Amino acid sequence: MPECDHCLLEVSASRAVYDEINGDEKVFCCQGCRGIARMIGEEGLEEFYRRRNSSWTPGPPEDRAFDASSFSGAIRYGDGDAEVDMVLDGIRCASCVWLTEKLLMKTDGVTAARVNYATHRTSVRWNTAVTDIGKITGRIRSAGYTPKPFLANVHEEELKSQQHDLLIRLGTAAFFSMQLMMYSIALYAGYFQGISPGTRQALQFISLLVASPVLFYSGTPFIRGALRGLQNLAFNMDVLIVTGAGSAYLYSIYQIFLGGEVYFDTSSMIITLILLGRYLETGAKGRASEVITGLLSLNPKEAVVVRVPGSGDGDHGTYDREYVTASVASIEAGDLVQIKPGERIPLDGIVIEGESGVDESMLTGESRPADKRPGAEVFCGTQNLFGNLVFRVTRTGADTVLSRIIKTVEDAQARRAPVQALADRVVGYFVPAVLLLSVGTFMAWIYYGRESADALMTAVSVLVIACPCALGLATPLAILTGTTRGASKGVLIKGGDIIETAQKSDTVVLDKTGTVTEGKQKLLSHEGIGMLDDEALRLAASLERLSEHSISRAIVDACGEMQFHKIDGFTAAPGGGVRGRVGGKDVLVGSRNFIGAEGISGSFDAALSQRILSEAASHEQAGATVVYLSFEKKLSGVFVISDKVRKESGEAVRRLKEMNHDVIMITGDSASTAAAVARIIMLDDDKVMAQRSPVQKAEEIEKMQQGGKTVFMVGDGMNDAPALIQADVGAAMGRATDIALESADIVLMTSDLRLVPYALGLTKKMYAVIKQNLFWAFLYNIVALPLAVTGTLHPIVAAISMTLSSLSVVGNSMRLKRV
Amino acid sequence: MWTIFFLIFIALITGIVSWLLFLWAVKSGQFNDLEGPKYRMLDDDDIGNNKNK
Repeated sequence: MPECDHCLLEVSASRAVYDEINGDEKVFCCQGCRGIARMIGEEGLEEFYRRRNSSWTPGPPEDRAFDASSFSGAIRYGDGDAEVDMVLDGIRCASCVWLTEKLLMKTDGVTAARVNYATHRTSVRWNTAVTDIGKITGRIRSAGYTPKPFLANVHEEELKSQQHDLLIRLGTAAFFSMQLMMYSIALYAGYFQGISPGTRQALQFISLLVASPVLFYSGTPFIRGALRGLQNLAFNMDVLIVTGAGSAYLYSIYQIFLGGEVYFDTSSMIITLILLGRYLETGAKGRASEVITGLLSLNPKEAVVVRVPGSGDGDHGTYDREYVTASVASIEAGDLVQIKPGERIPLDGIVIEGESGVDESMLTGESRPADKRPGAEVFCGTQNLFGNLVFRVTRTGADTVLSRIIKTVEDAQARRAPVQALADRVVGYFVPAVLLLSVGTFMAWIYYGRESADALMTAVSVLVIACPCALGLATPLAILTGTTRGASKGVLIKGGDIIETAQKSDTVVLDKTGTVTEGKQKLLSHEGIGMLDDEALRLAASLERLSEHSISRAIVDACGEMQFHKIDGFTAAPGGGVRGRVGGKDVLVGSRNFIGAEGISGSFDAALSQRILSEAASHEQAGATVVYLSFEKKLSGVFVISDKVRKESGEAVRRLKEMNHDVIMITGDSASTAAAVARIIMLDDDKVMAQRSPVQKAEEIEKMQQGGKTVFMVGDGMNDAPALIQADVGAAMGRATDIALESADIVLMTSDLRLVPYALGLTKKMYAVIKQNLFWAFLYNIVALPLAVTGTLHPIVAAISMTLSSLSVVGNSMRLKRV
Repeated sequence: MWTIFFLIFIALITGIVSWLLFLWAVKSGQFNDLEGPKYRMLDDDDIGNNKNK
């Protein structure tokens, strides 16, 4: 059997991949190996194959099993290009993300590459004529990361097992560090009060015993990350940690035999504290990914597939049908699927049987159910309301409309935390600086005629003191404390990256309905024209009962125990009104324009008395909605429905103005209604945008952003979702609809608008604390550096700087508890 | 002297036992879901019963 020229794995001749690299015919076991070998050849690095021959062992089992063909199912082909989603194993920090993105972008043929920091999910788009999946994955693997095709469940398990692994490492580090601390304190006491050399050495040996698992077991991820970083000549956080902890450990072993002082506690505490920070961070990350999984869980996992024996399609006879419950993943385009009332539709398709209303609000923002008959298209994630439907699947998996929306939301979430990047940037300069200082110390000591062993030990002690233990805690702890405090006040912040954008936002856009106002329409008055008041209400309610709109609910709620009419041929005109028939007679309920155009035969104003007209006008002035009823082409009733302005709204707006925010109200409602509400909350007319559709709301926000504003949007409805995503920071109010909650970055748990100024103040404070934390984390270690350079460093100093910087960071973060 | 080493020995044993206990807790899934239990205790019925309704 031939051997793969890259990985030396045996490969059967029939499955082998052949390629010509720099004029030589080569055999490979898979596209991945071929891709890497090609890249190595093209970059002129064939030296690699000569070097490894001396001491080459095949990689670990999971490496050998790697096969680029496993991606074939995850690739979406487009016009001349293709896209794939994958999960990268081995990404630790923002610099890994940066490296992977840059590496991919430098690959020929790759048009777009994006790594989501929170989920480690990578989207790559490439030109199929220039490159292929093997090259791309090979490129990633060459950097030391392992790509896997993204499948929702795989990803979730990945995160779980990562968290599990981290918890065990943290726990182990914590238990052994606690043990270690007892002996360290004994040694400190010995330093001050005297200790016999024998006892000291015994205690030091026990310290070595308990410090070893912390460095070599709990510290493994850092050691791997550091090696990976050094391979790429990048000085990342891991390099700093390993240099600090490793040099402290080795220095201490050497000192045991010399009878000097040991730094095992420094070594262990660095690792323990940074693991703690990472663990807190994965917790926050887990919550962020729950949002995504939440969206994904909209996706039912099982569905009833209808099998018609003999003919896959065409004949839909009711007999001989087989109903099989199958997992959604196994359903293919062309299958028939049955949906019962109340169920969510699992895949996109075309209705072939049945009639029903489907709640598509999560896709369209329209709260009224959409009518579905044979031939109509249904979309994944929408909810079937009344009747049974059978539909033929047209799109599955990542092609469905829902999956594309989820991707939009995730893309929005791929924005990384600039603060995190700041911490990494600082480390990027700090590590080379410390290394230079260390080398400089060594040379200076030699220059002044000291022994080289002493000089080396002093140089190492510079590395020992330089690594700030509290660094790993600086950002996660501030975010954790701040978000916990926010949560207790009813402000849920979905991730760390939101803090920076939120704290610098200068424009607050408020949705009117449900945000500034209570969002609950109430019937204020009803009047029949040419019929009894209550009869008009009963007719209107019978019709409106079939609609889901908030105005409809107000009318239906007002009816109490009334007997409803039977309605035939119900249809809804979005934004206008509803129509139907009672006993063959046309009934319409809707806005003035809708009724004027379709409901009555004559002129609208002529059908109303002067009194009703003026009353309607004054109600509209006050922000109420007036709807009309037409029966048999005659205007037969007037209903006044109003949405009360929340009493806290005025104060919230005042506070926002005091914080120098530009407050703007945006609504789909009419200009007069909006102006009335604006008067109550003391907003100027030019700060009100009325009659904006969901898409227009997002466009208005985009316009503001182009004008250099950072926009904070508050909304609650599905119609706000596009605007919430578009805004730099989107906040959803308490009982907001699912999609609004999913699109928002911040969720305000109660419907109190005063939480908006509070949330803005909180994020400002959190950002300030993060910056201060970074300062405190570095301060003590930098102050102690001169001691190390002069060779007077002592474990007590290391312990004090460790304790003080950690305490400062913890204490400073705790201040957020009082915001 | 002997007492000190005896105490250190006891401390090490106690520490390692609690560490093993921790490992057991993680492995047996005690830490898998820190949010769920507080909500789950409010559920009256388990899933099996809900299906029968």
